[in-house]
Amino acid sequence: MSTLVRRRTDWTGITFAVVLTLVIVLPLLVVGTWAFTNVWRYPSLIPQEFGLRFWNQTLARADVWSSISMSLTLAVTVTVLSAVICLPAAYAFARMEFPGRSILFFSFLAGHAFPKFGLLVAIAGIFLQLNLIGTFWGVVLIQLVGTLLFMIWIPVAAFQAVDRRMEEAARDVGATPMRVFWSITLPQAGPTIAAAILLSFVGTFYETEGAWLIGAPQVRTLPVLMISFINNQPVIQYGAVLSVLLWVPSFIALMFARKVVNSGSFARGFGG
Amino acid sequence: MTTDTAGSVSPVQPHRGRPIGLLLVAVPVLMVVWLIIWPIISAVITTLWVKTPEGDIFSIETYRFFFSDGYSLSNLGMTLWTTGVCAILLLVVCLPIALYLRFADSRIAAYVQGLAIFPMFVPSIILSFAFIRVLGPNGTVDLVLNAVGMPKIRSPYLTPWGPVIGLVWDNIPLTVLILLSGLGSVSNQAIEAARDVGAGKIAVLWHIILPRISNSILVAISFAVLGIFSAFTLPYVLGPAAPEMMGPFMQRTFRELFEPQTAITQAVVTFAFCIVFGLFYVYSVAKNRAP
Repeated sequence: MSTLVRRRTDWTGITFAVVLTLVIVLPLLVVGTWAFTNVWRYPSLIPQEFGLRFWNQTLARADVWSSISMSLTLAVTVTVLSAVICLPAAYAFARMEFPGRSILFFSFLAGHAFPKFGLLVAIAGIFLQLNLIGTFWGVVLIQLVGTLLFMIWIPVAAFQAVDRRMEEAARDVGATPMRVFWSITLPQAGPTIAAAILLSFVGTFYETEGAWLIGAPQVRTLPVLMISFINNQPVIQYGAVLSVLLWVPSFIALMFARKVVNSGSFARGFGG
Repeated sequence: MTTDTAGSVSPVQPHRGRPIGLLLVAVPVLMVVWLIIWPIISAVITTLWVKTPEGDIFSIETYRFFFSDGYSLSNLGMTLWTTGVCAILLLVVCLPIALYLRFADSRIAAYVQGLAIFPMFVPSIILSFAFIRVLGPNGTVDLVLNAVGMPKIRSPYLTPWGPVIGLVWDNIPLTVLILLSGLGSVSNQAIEAARDVGAGKIAVLWHIILPRISNSILVAISFAVLGIFSAFTLPYVLGPAAPEMMGPFMQRTFRELFEPQTAITQAVVTFAFCIVFGLFYVYSVAKNRAP
């Protein structure tokens, strides 16, 4: 604050802050509390007994471990495949001229013109004929499609932001094109591309609808297991502990992506 | 990637870049064609050309069934109601937040912005669980009410209001961000000029701000409608069993009743209801982005 004039108290801001804290933070704190509770019977306002008993019990369940490894395997597979097919394409869109470049670039928006679950049902209709329902690779394909837009559009912007004069200067002093790519282009575009990869990993990890529609019951990811805990599990703490575990990738994304999300260009990417 | 590929970095060498550029984008483009464009076309075709012993004939029978079946119609009605209520609530909640954030620069404003964006980092399945623990039977709200000697609430869990609350919560971040991005184009000078000629706060909002952000409001609504109309997880976990929203309805028809044809018909109906919002949304995103 540069002025010495005392500001009026920001009552609007305080009201928003209090209401949003109650509505957004409090529910999550309740879940966090349940995860570290041994006994909490109605109508006590606070748990009768805190403790880690249910962490041991939850982590001793075989279905929890198998779904954790299923979720991680899926997310890694989809992210690697997505990077392998999308990053060269992003480089081509950013740097090369070819027929139909614009229309192909915008074709990745096609999936966003339709309600998502309707589109998934239409895809499931195709998968039914190909016997991909209930298979690992069916889920991989459906989640891979979901990452295409982010994994192409964000890296394209990254490649376009690279300083072309530096590349040309390196070429002038005799660097090979490959050397220019590794030493000039990639280090500059790297952080943004890494953010896109992180985004697609986290997005895939939490993808629930495709996994449920295509994969269930054979492919059971962590969010799918969480749905069945909510619907059928009388022990509240199992769901609470699983929620805390499930939130870890999101927390990591939160740490890295806050700056990106708060910048105006992010909202413009959604048409704002 | 061959050295030849990297050699054609500059669009000033169009002839050398041509085939290799197309080759590099081929795989993701073919995936879009195979797994987005083809399923949509195929969904329309398979629901309109029905297989009969005499060959395929054109028939709108599956759609006639959908629009004459009471249960399908009440599910569609429920979906339209939820989408409409959510869109209105989102505007009522997010526009004041965005307006406040646009014109405030205190530390409290930074905190409010952080909170408004935070739901983006909470997966909807965790949100569902938190909702049940807070607003469900014997949840936190009941505990607090009981402690101060008041009766329990009528829980919105498993009623149509359950998905509404969850979906609004889930959509706050992007709605606020899109509106805020639109408000960025409202210049301070325009507002000060209006103030100077004696316009009150409401007049400034109505005549200066709203006309300038009307496009952003439409984009925010389109995005929300596309997401909410076929939402699955939140309505499935928080909503009533019947009537249900289109998302859970399609899932149940496909996986539990094993009637893919009927499920795909329902999907095409959701496409038809959202097509205007979808095209407008895609047009708005494309306008902001040149390749």
